[in-house]
Amino acid sequence: MAAPMTNPDDERPGGPTFGRPGAPGRRRAAVAVALGAALLLWALWPFLFRRGSRAPRTIVFYGFSILGEAMNDGIFPAFQARWKERTGETVEFAGAFAGSGTVTNQVLLGVPAELALVALDLDARRIADAGRTRPESWRSLPHAGVVNRTPVVILVRPGNPKGIRDFADLARPGIRIVHPDPQTSGGALWAILAEYGAGERSRPGGGRDFLLGIWRNVVAQASSARGARTQFENGFGDALITYEQEAVWDRSRGRLPFEVVYPRATVLSEHTLVVLDRNVPAGRRALVDAFTAFLWSGEAQRIFVRYGFRSVDERWNAGTSAFGAIAEPFGVDAFGGWPRAKREIVDRVWRDDVLKAARP
Amino acid sequence: MKGGRRGAIPATVLVLVLLPLMLMPLGAVFVFALRGGVGAFWKVLRSPDAQFAMRFSLSIAFGTAAVNAVLGTFAAYVLSKYRFFGRKSLGVVVNLPVAIPTVVVGTSLLLLWGPIGWLGKILDPAGIHPMFAPAGILLAHVFVTFPYMVGAVRPLLEELEESYEEAAYTIGASRWQTFRFVVLPALRAGLLSGILLTFAHSLGEFGATVMVSGNLRLRTQTAPLYIFAQFEAGKIAEANAVAAVLALLSFAIFFVLLTERGARRPDGRTAA
Repeated sequence: MAAPMTNPDDERPGGPTFGRPGAPGRRRAAVAVALGAALLLWALWPFLFRRGSRAPRTIVFYGFSILGEAMNDGIFPAFQARWKERTGETVEFAGAFAGSGTVTNQVLLGVPAELALVALDLDARRIADAGRTRPESWRSLPHAGVVNRTPVVILVRPGNPKGIRDFADLARPGIRIVHPDPQTSGGALWAILAEYGAGERSRPGGGRDFLLGIWRNVVAQASSARGARTQFENGFGDALITYEQEAVWDRSRGRLPFEVVYPRATVLSEHTLVVLDRNVPAGRRALVDAFTAFLWSGEAQRIFVRYGFRSVDERWNAGTSAFGAIAEPFGVDAFGGWPRAKREIVDRVWRDDVLKAARP
Repeated sequence: MKGGRRGAIPATVLVLVLLPLMLMPLGAVFVFALRGGVGAFWKVLRSPDAQFAMRFSLSIAFGTAAVNAVLGTFAAYVLSKYRFFGRKSLGVVVNLPVAIPTVVVGTSLLLLWGPIGWLGKILDPAGIHPMFAPAGILLAHVFVTFPYMVGAVRPLLEELEESYEEAAYTIGASRWQTFRFVVLPALRAGLLSGILLTFAHSLGEFGATVMVSGNLRLRTQTAPLYIFAQFEAGKIAEANAVAAVLALLSFAIFFVLLTERGARRPDGRTAA
């Protein structure tokens, strides 16, 4: 490995060039360097000329998992068009979508989000508790900050081979359930509420039994509702507990590979918008406010309905046959609001009791 | 080459073993990427999100390779040429990133540079936020890939006989000249493989990146994060199109790496 000072072949003066071992090697090295430089140039090209005042203003939006398509393909382009009409300015959106708990943790750790649409007001409270927005600031928004809703339902394989009709059937031995993970997914917390509430409605004290029966059968947990759906789509499990929106949106495109089972009683989830004032520079305030107001406009609410969410304004839901009927819908108010429901049902019953009993 | 025996049977066995382990999974990436036809594949690659993710990942990989080419060589030089207290421990520490889960790297960077971390708190009033920005991703990648450069260069340095350097000093070369004209040429093969390994690893880095990037499309979403986001959203064709490009690129990198290694004998000719 020691470096010889000279290579004897290179010392031959005036010899035929094709015989020199250095030459082809050097040519190959030159080609490799040229390719590398070309790759570097291609990679950096868009970043080289982006500086300057002509860069469009951007709204940074973090949302929970199932919002992805509705925002990226529906709401963002619609607002861009409206804003352009009104001001002539092109506005851009940077969005990130993950489980509601993940989004909340990212906001707490300081991502530059200007708006966060979380799956439940519990996550909004965590954001406020960390001082990222004023406490309950979302309550001054329309509908107390709730942008849209969707009930928790059960998806089963085509033809419903296991005969699942309600949450109670999920507790039968041998049913394999895919469930999002309550630690990171807001949808999973709503699902726990749905399972518990449905149980309590069947008979007093039945909530714990429903939870225990279902969680004994959970075979896969994903970090978000959307992730759980992908697992189910890839063939895991007999049933998926998730938002109705997933099914409605797929069916509207004619590609629903599952059947929807509407439980007799289930929860109607509500999704809360948080404006992270500290991250909104003064120069973008009006823009962010305009976008916030736009989310409750008839146009935006109709887009949400088109993507399978239930509008907060019943007028827009009435015209759609896509939503199934739920005999006994309930909200988180039935449990005294999220802080209490989290403490008494998610923590005390599910985490400390059911989870231990289900996996001793 | 010399000493090789004819090996149709062992080679067949090897291929059969690797088929389910590596070859078929890699093949699946291409099958799923192209399932919608070449047109659909091309359309995915032309989409702004995929374009950004690939260019951004490549830029970060170039940056990481450049930083570690200098930093890693320096570390290897110090560790092999100088004797000092704690040298062995430091040598172990620079190799740790190979063993630490990358998620832990991401978390620790967040807890240091993030808005709630020690350094982050100091930088915050100055308006400097390295986390959830390209700088944070670069930091994570430099950390995670650090051992590759050191590992590639250090053995060459340790085998390099002292007498060459001494000879250079004797004829009046400065410390820099000795490094530039005697040491560096001997390290060429190591530098090349170190840079390529660093580049390839940075291109595919996921665990640390997902923690520090914020995963914003068109801003901080690297190619592996794009693939993961698309896959989670059930867009398998999109995920696999970009995955196929990354796989081809990695193949090219390792092809260069392995053929260069085989072809090139260390011919550390001194320039002038």
